[in-house]
Amino acid sequence: MEPKLPAFIVPGRVAALVGRLPQLPPALALAGALNLALGRVLPREQLEPLAGKRLLVRVTDAGLALRFALGANGFRPVFDRQPDDLRISATLRDFLALALREEDADTLFFGRRLLMEGDTELGLLVKNTLDAVDWAALRPALPRVGLRPG
Amino acid sequence: MKLALGPLLYYWTRKRVLDFYDEVAAAPLDIVYLGETVCSRRHELRLPDWLDIGERLAAAGKEVVISSQTLIESESDLKTLRRIAEQARFRVEANDMGAVRLLAGSDGWVAGPSLNVFNDHTLGMLVELGARRFVAPPEMAGEALARVRAAHGQPLETEVFAFGRLPLAYSARCFTARHFNLQKDNCGFRCIEFDDGLALDTRDGRPFLTINGIQTQSARVHNLLGDLPALADAAVDILRISPQAHHMAAIATLFADAVGGRRAPREAFDASRALMPAEACNGFWHGRAGIDEYVA
Amino acid sequence: MAIELVCPAGSLPALKTAVDAGADCVYVGLRDATNARNFTGLNFDDRALADGVAYAHARGAKVLLALNTYPRSDNWARWTAAVDTAAERGIDAVILADPGLMRYALRTHPSLRRHLSVQGSATSYEAINFYHEQFGIQRAVLPRVLSLAQVEQVIAHTPVEIELFGFGGLCVMVEGRCALSAYATGESPNCNGACSPGKYVRWEQTAAGMEARVNGILIDRFAADERAGYPTLCKGRFAVGSETYYAIEEPTSLNTLELLPEIARMGVAAIKIEGRQRSPAYVGQVTRVWRQAIDRVAHEGDRFRPDAAWLRELARVSEGQSQTLGAYHRPWK
Repeated sequence: MEPKLPAFIVPGRVAALVGRLPQLPPALALAGALNLALGRVLPREQLEPLAGKRLLVRVTDAGLALRFALGANGFRPVFDRQPDDLRISATLRDFLALALREEDADTLFFGRRLLMEGDTELGLLVKNTLDAVDWAALRPALPRVGLRPG
Repeated sequence: MKLALGPLLYYWTRKRVLDFYDEVAAAPLDIVYLGETVCSRRHELRLPDWLDIGERLAAAGKEVVISSQTLIESESDLKTLRRIAEQARFRVEANDMGAVRLLAGSDGWVAGPSLNVFNDHTLGMLVELGARRFVAPPEMAGEALARVRAAHGQPLETEVFAFGRLPLAYSARCFTARHFNLQKDNCGFRCIEFDDGLALDTRDGRPFLTINGIQTQSARVHNLLGDLPALADAAVDILRISPQAHHMAAIATLFADAVGGRRAPREAFDASRALMPAEACNGFWHGRAGIDEYVA
Repeated sequence: MAIELVCPAGSLPALKTAVDAGADCVYVGLRDATNARNFTGLNFDDRALADGVAYAHARGAKVLLALNTYPRSDNWARWTAAVDTAAERGIDAVILADPGLMRYALRTHPSLRRHLSVQGSATSYEAINFYHEQFGIQRAVLPRVLSLAQVEQVIAHTPVEIELFGFGGLCVMVEGRCALSAYATGESPNCNGACSPGKYVRWEQTAAGMEARVNGILIDRFAADERAGYPTLCKGRFAVGSETYYAIEEPTSLNTLELLPEIARMGVAAIKIEGRQRSPAYVGQVTRVWRQAIDRVAHEGDRFRPDAAWLRELARVSEGQSQTLGAYHRPWK
């Protein structure tokens, strides 16, 4: 079965525009969504190795570069000068396909569509923890947040 | 502590092999393992030739062991294996579980380094089947080996790979043939051109591995000369020296002198550096990456 | 008898996906070094294992537990506890590599089915029959080193069911006989359950290209448009003589779909799909293709031809996005 999500990239002029906008609002939105899931569907204990690490999520075609860290009170955007521990880059379409479980992260990686730099162990932890979330079993209990894979 | 010469892992001409074992007969080595363990296509010497060499070495006072092939694929591999198992003249080193099946019930065979004996339960089972010596997997740390020995409890000859490029992996594919864009079935026996194997370096120029036909070895030379006191503490009975193209008798003499207390282990190790085709490593023995050179 | 389809699962969602997509068996591992895919965040805790077994059994599928690494004397109890867990949780078979552990399983839980893992490195019927006689092994998974003719020879001389790798990541080395990762990092598939573990891997974008290092050792460097593979030591590019190339193996996946009629004819009991480290998406994609193919080969026999769409689908998810028949096809060797 081919992925249902069509191939697309965000037009360059949109990316150029987004790149000039403050990155705080989208970073806050992503951190907020993750925090809603944390403890509820994302096992906090398993994600503990992420504590204090700088993660950079780069949506390459949308000009977004969201940096955040996991602290005692959950994920929060960070804007300090410390180096990133893990950088994950892909297009918006591919991030959505991953979230919707239509694409396999390694498949995207082999095709150079998903780039992971830095601490590979952290990357594996993030990928495998997200893969292990049993959305089907959780669906009735889940709050209505943006991305809810089927 | 006894010294053993492991099976010749490289492919040399018949003349060279015969000359080499003439030299070995005079070297301070107690045990010599013979036979082709890497590739069944190699044919400079056949089993009867190895048995002849064995007779000469036995006459020179060596204990001779015939080693079986590590990767068995074809019916003809099995035929050779059966002939090795059936000969009663010399002890046999079993290098896969097919060999163990053929040797089970006979007394005195050697459980080889590729059998993956990592715990006393597996070791005890092999001893019940007649194994009287075991060669630890090269990747096994000294500490883990000491625990296996302690838990096994019974006296049992224990051998450790102590010198030479480490045999790290085996494949159906021949990487020497691949290098020359040849198929394995039509390989031209090009591995005979590389008496210490074919060097494989990283793209930034670091020596990493050594290609030896279907076998992959370390680029570095595993050398436990400097670790002799720890080997004695771990109740190791036999040190295996793996053949290399040059200076074999000198290496054996360094080991013999260090084991016999005529030379300090560390000093013997330093002297051995000039006799190796590459840098030294000993990480496996210390529970680290095998490529490391670790000084406690 | 129809060929069983044995599919990988590194998580409960992957197991459910495999069962829903038509797997006959799903193989899984626990969250520790007792299995050969011991990766961070992957595998099953006790609760997920219980849920997975219940889900599969309710739908007529089996669950196999891979306990296919080698315990040492000091951590032995962890492996035997895992065998006990398998028996308690109603696992349908354990996949074992260590002879000592096989003996423990045989003596402690004689009715628990025992499979010989590919990590046991049994490449001949003599070796397989040894495990059968000593430990009552009922099935053996063959290392990816034999040609199809050699596989047939094995099947003709053993009462043990034979399981073959059909698709997925390709170990070019004999499984269980590879210490490359141990040499480079100190951790090995045999003892630690991981090859080139993530904590030793660094990907860095440099002026020369994207570099992959394992414990500081440069494995490969990729230009922007080059396909990538796992950063495993055997699939890097190295310099041998005056050439720099994939000296051991390209990043590639095994795909035996076109050999399926021959595999079925020679009496292979099961086809194994590699990839417990992959996501539920991969498991679903690959399981659906192989379910259809196995069902069709049962009807069509030698007239079977794989659908072009299946081959496209499998190619898309393959490492390096390229495929090989591996050792089954003689010239590969």
